[in-house]
Amino acid sequence: MLDTALFYIFAALTLGGGVLTITRRSAVHSAIWLITSLLGVAGLYLLQRAEFLAGVQVILYVGGIMVLFLFVIMLVNLDQAAKEKRFSGQKWIALACVAAVALQALWFVSKGAGRFTLGQPSIAGENLGNSEHVSRVLFSQYLLPFELASILLLVAIIGAVVMAKKRI
Amino acid sequence: MHPITTVHYLFLSAALLLVGTIGVLTRRNIVVILMSIELILNAVNINLIAFSRQLGNVNGQVFAIFVITDAAAEAAVGLGILIALFRNKETVNADEVDILKW
Amino acid sequence: MSPSYPEAYFPILLQVGLAVLVAGGVLVTSHLLGRRVRNKTKDSPYECGITPVGDARGRFSVKFYLVAVLFILFDVEVVFLFPWAVVFRELGLFGFFSMLLYMALILAGFFFVWKKGVLDWAKRGR
Repeated sequence: MLDTALFYIFAALTLGGGVLTITRRSAVHSAIWLITSLLGVAGLYLLQRAEFLAGVQVILYVGGIMVLFLFVIMLVNLDQAAKEKRFSGQKWIALACVAAVALQALWFVSKGAGRFTLGQPSIAGENLGNSEHVSRVLFSQYLLPFELASILLLVAIIGAVVMAKKRI
Repeated sequence: MHPITTVHYLFLSAALLLVGTIGVLTRRNIVVILMSIELILNAVNINLIAFSRQLGNVNGQVFAIFVITDAAAEAAVGLGILIALFRNKETVNADEVDILKW
Repeated sequence: MSPSYPEAYFPILLQVGLAVLVAGGVLVTSHLLGRRVRNKTKDSPYECGITPVGDARGRFSVKFYLVAVLFILFDVEVVFLFPWAVVFRELGLFGFFSMLLYMALILAGFFFVWKKGVLDWAKRGR
């Protein structure tokens, strides 16, 4: 009961924040609404028993990536852009996407949705905490992707510095 | 009220993906386009988490951590490119940057 | 794991509710009860008590962006360090060396940034 209510609250936060993100005129307002949306997603993680991921979402997304976005908005001084036209003329492609997803959803409901409704989710990990369980899987099955992540981060550091710095 | 099932999460994820796609396709401001990409990545993560719980293992959560890592790297490099673009062209609108070389 | 999961987070829910209530309450009460004085000084942006200098939307230096990028990338690193620390004892020496490789790659990026002079805030005589 409480689970259901919380799901709808967080879903409304997520979707409402998302819609406001793509419709606000000022980029700063967009960023603030995106933060709302991301916090809603963190709540959904918590509902799905993914506590570690909820923490990562708040620390990394809300605390890190959004700060980066806000810094860049300050940096490129979007006052001018706020007065200009917001949307480009690609709304037909966007409408086509909406139609495609709507068709898929209809097809899904008519055919396969019944297979999922029974899936009353089981809880991963019997006596372990969530972060311990995640850590075990991460460092046993996903050790190579973990090392590759460091290479990705190295490339990202170099790319960001090379792109943003005026004279190297 | 019905109990919440995986299907609820799937529909939420599809809707969020759609919102992000519409943002990427229709907005002119590159910063907002990058934010829409973050929305899309979050939709993917909701999907991964829903199935991780339905199937009862945490591989989906590990995947989601990698997706968030990718999102951080993508934001860093993407915004760096935006700054380089703004320095050279004094614009942040995607439809004003339509030539490959200038 | 307690059978009724959301109840375990009830204190947090309570705290969020209290925070919203207090913050919203202060805003609403001051809006309802406060006296409204409008003049030029009052409407000017607050800048630690002195007269505002320049526009608040002036451009920032790109150094702020570079520092923020570094912060994020090392933030990601810590996100991976934390689960490693949780299972450190089970992993043993192999886990230690795999983390050492990871740290070496990240630190290579750190030294790149250092040598490029991103960390010098003020320009040195070069």
